[in-house]
Amino acid sequence: MIVVEGLRKDFRRLTAVHDMSFTVGDGEIFGLLGPNGAGKTTTVRMLAGLITPTAGTASVNGHSLGEGSQRIRAITGILTESPGLHEKLTARQNLAYYGRLYGLRGSVLRQAVDRYLGVVGMAEHADRRVVGFSKGMRQKVAIARALLHEPEVIYLDEPTSGLDPSAAKTVRDFVATLRSLGRAIVVCTHNLDEAERLCDRIGIMRGTLLRVDTPAGLRRHGRGATVRVQLNGARGPHSFLGRLGELPFVTGATAQEDTLVVEMADPPRDTPDLVAALVAAGARISGVAEEAPTLEEAYLSLVGEVGERD
Amino acid sequence: MRIGYVIAVFAKEWRDLLSNRLLLGAVAFPALIFAAIPTGLVAFIQANDLDPNQLGQIEQYIANFPGLPAKLAAQGFIVTNFMAYFLLIPAMVPMAIASQSVIGEKVARSLEPQLATPLEVSELLAGKTLAAALPAVIATWGVFAGYGYLNGAIADPRLTRLVFSDVWLTAMATLVPLICLFSVLLGIVVSSRVNDPRTAQQIGGFVVIPIIAVAVAQFFGGQATFSMEQVLIGDLLVGGLIGVTMIIGSWAFDRESILTRMA
Repeated sequence: MIVVEGLRKDFRRLTAVHDMSFTVGDGEIFGLLGPNGAGKTTTVRMLAGLITPTAGTASVNGHSLGEGSQRIRAITGILTESPGLHEKLTARQNLAYYGRLYGLRGSVLRQAVDRYLGVVGMAEHADRRVVGFSKGMRQKVAIARALLHEPEVIYLDEPTSGLDPSAAKTVRDFVATLRSLGRAIVVCTHNLDEAERLCDRIGIMRGTLLRVDTPAGLRRHGRGATVRVQLNGARGPHSFLGRLGELPFVTGATAQEDTLVVEMADPPRDTPDLVAALVAAGARISGVAEEAPTLEEAYLSLVGEVGERD
Repeated sequence: MRIGYVIAVFAKEWRDLLSNRLLLGAVAFPALIFAAIPTGLVAFIQANDLDPNQLGQIEQYIANFPGLPAKLAAQGFIVTNFMAYFLLIPAMVPMAIASQSVIGEKVARSLEPQLATPLEVSELLAGKTLAAALPAVIATWGVFAGYGYLNGAIADPRLTRLVFSDVWLTAMATLVPLICLFSVLLGIVVSSRVNDPRTAQQIGGFVVIPIIAVAVAQFFGGQATFSMEQVLIGDLLVGGLIGVTMIIGSWAFDRESILTRMA
């Protein structure tokens, strides 16, 4: 479990990250979503015990940053932004080296290397030098490196970057398997679709966390959700707009041909009351559908459309 | 410091080095050149049976070798005088390897995954230092041994004894490893601040200047080789420089500054 409270990092006069507070439970995939320069990598580096926070505290499976940083590094697997492999070594030699740095030795090391080369589909390229690998192949070896020592906590920075759709799905499925094994996983990504598919909760950040919620909760944040109510009767939708204006949970409503388009904050909670109110007012309803905003809309409304942070 | 981690880094660095033919060439080539020039001169004198009076300026240095025939004394002067350049190998080669190793990893961004493991920075540096220093020490010792025996075989066994003098055996045993260590540390310190191996080697290159200065002063001063006192003073000086460089290195090469100064 990762517990972060008030984390801050200054680089001279630049504040990269401030007031970061969140938790990631065991068996949870937490996404960090934000534009370039939002502080995602800095946050992960602090949590992985690589750099020291300027202020705030964090603990990883009970080990505090600072005095527990070496222990934290031992139980952490990290996929860095760039694969950072040793080009002149083979895939197997790369993994064996990192296995040794994580304390694996002998047959345990050999088995772990073979297993994870297989997991990422690189067994047949195991004894080739990395220098000839494609971007996707490097990414696969880097993923194997991050998981080799069976870490309790895993940070994945753009895990499917450079992978073809099939390999990306394999990685996503494997990450989901890790979740089922009780690992706490943090995924940094720009890929909204991937974040939505993979993450249990997402934190949208830009220097600090702007909002943390489930993907569904974040989507609703964008512009509130819209519910389309299709009518089938003599009375046109315009005649119900007045009644909708009286409902406290309705934030806006328009009529389009035979359909009422109703905006409200929490459709799962309020749709039954909406339907009841319309039926009581004499409406004949033939269909109700929620038109949820996309995660992209929610993201842009929080972060703004400017890619880079000042 | 955990020896298993140092060995892991060392073994990886050696694999890397052995696969880099250009860098291996850079280790062997200077050593062979420094040995080949005087050996060629000795062979030339031997083959041409020169009159010592024809040896010109060298004649005045022959007094360094009382008891030797003039021709052999001239060869002895050449053999021993060039040996100061053996100290250039440990000064130049390890720095090239160390700066290539550190900056190469900065550019390839392979330092971050290593620093994300339980590996301590001191263990990383110890492994890298050993891996960078050892080839130069081995090359210097190897060429030194070959140089002594080859010149003895070409001219006279007494040349071998001149090469393997107490002074030079002491210099090889102490000064060569110390210069290697200083060179590596300097290479690492400079490499932690720049992102181009050539810049690092140029900045670090000043380490060879005192050695060349000593060799030139020795030649023009008419001294054939170092004295034991000079070797021991050299040990102390280089030891002091190592201490200063280690203090600077511990400040320059901490985990955070490496990551935040990467290329």
